[in-house]
Amino acid sequence: MPGGLLLAQSEQVFDTRGMATGHAQNLAVETLDGAHQGARRAQLELVADRVSPLTLAREQNLPVHDSLTSLFPDGALRRGTIVGVSGVGATSLALAVVAGPSAAGSWTAFVGGTDIGLVAADEHGVVLERLLVIDPAPSAWSSTVAALIGAVDLIVISPKHRLHEPDARRIGSRLRERGSVLVSIGSRWPVGADVQLDVAESRWCGIGVGHGVLQLRKATIAGGGRGAAARPRSLDVLLPGPGGAPRSVAEAD
Amino acid sequence: MAAPVRTLVAWCPDWPVVATGVPLDEPSAVLFANRVVAASPGARAHGVVRGLRRRVAQARCPDLSVHERDEAKEARLFEPVVAVLDDITPRVEVTRPGACALVSRGPSRYFGGDEVVARLVSERMAEIVASRTDVRVGVADGPFAAELVARAADPIRLVPPGTTAEFLAPMNIDVLERSDLTDVLRRLGISTLGALARLPAADVLARFGREGQGAHRLASGLDERPPDARYPPADWSVSAEIDPPADRVDRVAFVARSIADELHRRLRRNGVTCVRVGIQAETEYGEEVIRFWRHEGALSDAAVADRVRWQLDGWLNGPAVNRPSGGIARIALVPDELIAATGRQLGFWGGETEVDQRAARVAARLQGQLGAESVLVPEFRGGRHAHEQLMLVPAATVELAGRSLDPRDEVAPWPGSLPAPSPTRLLSDPVAVEVLDESGGVVEVTGRGLLSSPPTQLIVKGRCKAVVGWSGPWPIDERWWDAEAHRRQARLQLVTADGRAQLVALEAGVWQVTAHWD
Repeated sequence: MPGGLLLAQSEQVFDTRGMATGHAQNLAVETLDGAHQGARRAQLELVADRVSPLTLAREQNLPVHDSLTSLFPDGALRRGTIVGVSGVGATSLALAVVAGPSAAGSWTAFVGGTDIGLVAADEHGVVLERLLVIDPAPSAWSSTVAALIGAVDLIVISPKHRLHEPDARRIGSRLRERGSVLVSIGSRWPVGADVQLDVAESRWCGIGVGHGVLQLRKATIAGGGRGAAARPRSLDVLLPGPGGAPRSVAEAD
Repeated sequence: MAAPVRTLVAWCPDWPVVATGVPLDEPSAVLFANRVVAASPGARAHGVVRGLRRRVAQARCPDLSVHERDEAKEARLFEPVVAVLDDITPRVEVTRPGACALVSRGPSRYFGGDEVVARLVSERMAEIVASRTDVRVGVADGPFAAELVARAADPIRLVPPGTTAEFLAPMNIDVLERSDLTDVLRRLGISTLGALARLPAADVLARFGREGQGAHRLASGLDERPPDARYPPADWSVSAEIDPPADRVDRVAFVARSIADELHRRLRRNGVTCVRVGIQAETEYGEEVIRFWRHEGALSDAAVADRVRWQLDGWLNGPAVNRPSGGIARIALVPDELIAATGRQLGFWGGETEVDQRAARVAARLQGQLGAESVLVPEFRGGRHAHEQLMLVPAATVELAGRSLDPRDEVAPWPGSLPAPSPTRLLSDPVAVEVLDESGGVVEVTGRGLLSSPPTQLIVKGRCKAVVGWSGPWPIDERWWDAEAHRRQARLQLVTADGRAQLVALEAGVWQVTAHWD
């Protein structure tokens, strides 16, 4: 058995859900053999990951949409980080970033984003059943974000006012401690985001002069950030792709 | 097997509707989370039943008045109705606002028979309820049967001791209110309680587990659980002094929440849970009120605090006769009828999970801090515009954990809505703009839905942007039958030279940007 699994069992011993998971995996080991065993076990482990109530070290990453993996250092969204998005199409990019973890079971909160199109969020792949939209007064803004950190995995903010540096630092350290991800749309994060994504160039397709309809947008995203994310990188992606969900350019061709 | 304790249930039909203050003969319905939870007889005559969505209910009965559910108000109005029973017995259990139960043995001995007590209860309560609704009283073995008897009563009905099973036999199994179980039973050809009761108890337990066993016992006219209930030792109740005495309900509720936490911790440590919790409040002059609420191990700390709030609201703001003369000085929670805690099984596949509960908790906390209207969740409504298809509703009005939005494909299409991708930013205050053609004239839309000339410039707040792509117009003429809600507009998708796409609409001669594809 892999070490992670042993750890998972010992940590979950007082939790009925964890026990059920361990039991399911033992069953798999005992009763299945042959060519299907590997695939079945992988599936079971996937299920175990989704239903496990604890955050283990190997679960420090949240999955992102396949078309966006090359924008993130580990190919996934690391817990406790801040992602800044900017440029024309920033909202669409932010929705695409949170869509992956949201589909995998995380809750999302939009703070101050009552104007974000919910139909668009749905089309991008954000699960609306696990979405809270919070509209705090400017004075209660920081305390609202602080309360959400740790309780929901993804927090999307589009601040209309300037954020003070001490507030930003406090939010950053709380994020690292509790493991939520903050996605900031628009103005740059005052103390520098861990991963900064800018829509450098975008072009709408499907619409002509007097004919057609908006169908998809070809966007070039420039990535930067701090630490492992500092290496400049660039990605062409359809944002939104046909039907609304992001799509990699290669896949569309 | 010992018969369950003789129980009297008094039931006021349609209490949620009564609490709204609307006369019952007018069609009205009470909704929670966009579903009908109660309907007045006037509305029922039009086919408005429990569980319907708002839109469907309004379609069946166009002049229906709808009200959001307000449980606190229901409980507050019910409190004076229950208070009149205090002279008959000290132990009245409020099953929910609108229904209460009492053990009939003691009062029957004192007043001389179940029938006398039932008549007394009925008369006293009817006096308070007056003409708002009627009161129905049923007496049978056990609270489950007694409530069903009350529903069938007009206005009083007694089922003789030992014949409860015969009374229940012809009833539909839906009255068990366990849809998962009854679905399976019906497919097995078991549609009445009598048919269920005839099955061997051991086989039902083997096939359906504890839930099935409970249902089988109810159907057989027994208590849901084997009668192993123990009265708790007195020291398991928790209390708190309030100094200075509180004259405001929220202060007491705040204290109640922390002692509810203490009570639950104590019970959990001993592996038990209580069927009922008694809320006892005492004023500085020694006046006391105790009321029992159904608990079944399913009430959270906040839910207990809610019940404290409801009960005290009714007492402090009720009729002057019952009103206490001072502030509340002491509050106690008394667990009643302890049973072994079997735990609440969380779903393995989907359903309620730990992450859902965490989100629900933070939502409740933020509602407290920011107000209920600042914490919102999406809800499917349907419409031609992006802002109508999904609306934001207060999170307080829905069940957050394990919720599922109505699948969108169930609904018939809305002709006139624009295809995906939908705009990512919707402007609540549309910005007035100018859409100009090559010669600098304002672009107009003819009565037949055609543009007067192709747009080439978009002027937003004095700044001019060149139009590089456009499509439309899509005319729309909505709600022409309603003078106030009537809207007639033509929509245009515009892409400007800076790469931005926006939806502009011409309405009443004014162009406005209504949404962006950011």
